[in-house]
Amino acid sequence: MATIVTTVTEVLRYRGKIGQWSWVFHRVSGLGIVLFVCLHVVDTSWAAFYPDLYKQAIAEYQSPLFTIGEFFLVAAVVYHAINGYRIIVLDRRPHLWHLQQRAAVLVFVVVGIILIPVFVLMFGHVLDYYDTDPEFVSIAEIAETQAQFAIGFVVIVGAALILSFLQAIINGENISDPIPGMRRASQLDIWFWKFMRVSGLLILPLVFGHLAMMHVIMGVFDITAAGGDVIGTDLVNQSGSAVEFVGDRWNFLVAGVAVWRLYDGALLGLIVLHGFYGLRLVVNDYAHNRVVNRALNWAIVFGAAGLILVGSAALFAGVENTAEALLQNIVARS
Amino acid sequence: MKVTFRIRRFNPEKDSKPWWGEYTLDNVDPIDRVLELLHRVKWEQDGTLTLRRSCAHGVCGSDAMRINGVNRLACKMLVKTLGAGDHIKVQVEPILGLPVIKDLVVDMEPFFDHYRAVMPYFMPKEHVPADGRERLQSPADRERFDDTTKCILCACCTTSCPSFWANGKYVGPAAIVQAHRFIFDTRDGAAAQRLNILAEPDGVWRCRTIFNCTPACPREIEVTRAIGEVKLAIQRGV
Repeated sequence: MATIVTTVTEVLRYRGKIGQWSWVFHRVSGLGIVLFVCLHVVDTSWAAFYPDLYKQAIAEYQSPLFTIGEFFLVAAVVYHAINGYRIIVLDRRPHLWHLQQRAAVLVFVVVGIILIPVFVLMFGHVLDYYDTDPEFVSIAEIAETQAQFAIGFVVIVGAALILSFLQAIINGENISDPIPGMRRASQLDIWFWKFMRVSGLLILPLVFGHLAMMHVIMGVFDITAAGGDVIGTDLVNQSGSAVEFVGDRWNFLVAGVAVWRLYDGALLGLIVLHGFYGLRLVVNDYAHNRVVNRALNWAIVFGAAGLILVGSAALFAGVENTAEALLQNIVARS
Repeated sequence: MKVTFRIRRFNPEKDSKPWWGEYTLDNVDPIDRVLELLHRVKWEQDGTLTLRRSCAHGVCGSDAMRINGVNRLACKMLVKTLGAGDHIKVQVEPILGLPVIKDLVVDMEPFFDHYRAVMPYFMPKEHVPADGRERLQSPADRERFDDTTKCILCACCTTSCPSFWANGKYVGPAAIVQAHRFIFDTRDGAAAQRLNILAEPDGVWRCRTIFNCTPACPREIEVTRAIGEVKLAIQRGV
């Protein structure tokens, strides 16, 4: 772990060229996106399992703190995507190395060009929403909900550390040992190296579509707009409930196929695998102790499997209180 | 002109941690090289300053150090390229990622261990060529690995790599360059073995194409390109 401090301070001290900064931004944006995906998959699954919790989560997403985070998130996704494309091209065409500095600058320029109109539109949604004089969830409430996620992370990593420690005792390992040195070449490494590139390309249109729909064309604020159009469908969010919004999308059929469930499912699987394998690469760079490294790797496998499981369970279960059901409710009550 | 050196000093017998020493030299010629000026510091001001150098002409690769924040050979750096005006400030420190023995001298053994790991020697396809004479090669085939024959094992590239700083087990750019020199040599018969070694988790996959190594090379080897070609060769064959 000590080398993470060295790496951070020396990256700041070493006068590397722009490629070094591309790498820093790629890592930091990737880590930020993975963190958000963890929260987002879990709380979106609440739309299916705990509708009230989901409404609370969306209310928190509409608070100023998350709005600031939303701008950073969109910037991180756009940078990670465009820079990833640069990495893929240079990996396939190493002889173009002399163009890499210009390519790295071009990435920053393209990201800027994409982000300016995107931020203008996003800011427009913020202003529209603030014009309605909304009530925000308090910081204390947000802290309370997010603390549960933080505790969840600590519990998972802690449990993995304890199990890894027990494994060390069972195997009779010395707990201060570093991870073994030269290991055999593994087909898995090669497979995942390719997977990171292919999945990156596949995620690119999916995630840009998702961001365009949920953050640019309409804002996070419009999810709870009563009588608002549900994007990607011909339905209207009658009740103005975030749960109905998700239900409408997931139940929307094109030629009998729930297209948005497939879309979200593809996004879920690809992003979780891509993100958690990226996390594994970062962990393996800096966690050299055998017990700690194994624990973090277990936590990553468990985390990825858990998120995919929770996310697909929600997609399969679906959301019941669609517009129709809600309308019937209202009719029955009156 | 005047030059003020700020040099990272460490004597394991006396110091608990490294410290910066400052030395000002007068009557410096702009085309003096950093190595000559370090000699002047040692000879005129502080005889305990320790550094490694042999040929002093950019061939042996013993005086790699971090000069003004970038890995360079001290013997190839003209002081006038490090600043403008009558008074230039130069910061010198040991290359990073290898244990410091004293001042600017680092232990190169871990670096050479990685070098040895890729089997950096000719392993012929057949013991004796068909005609019993030379192992012939077309100019085009020779050109294929010409760039990577230029490496002098100074460690400038490997110790400029954040992946190597993070994990000293990473085989590093220099060893991959050396492997590239044999992998793409049509006369060599051990490409598959070398590619197998470099496909290990601490092999080429730890390269994140940060590109610090390429501008650090005093021989202007296209280091990241060579690493990229080895990555492709692992997947597609040579």
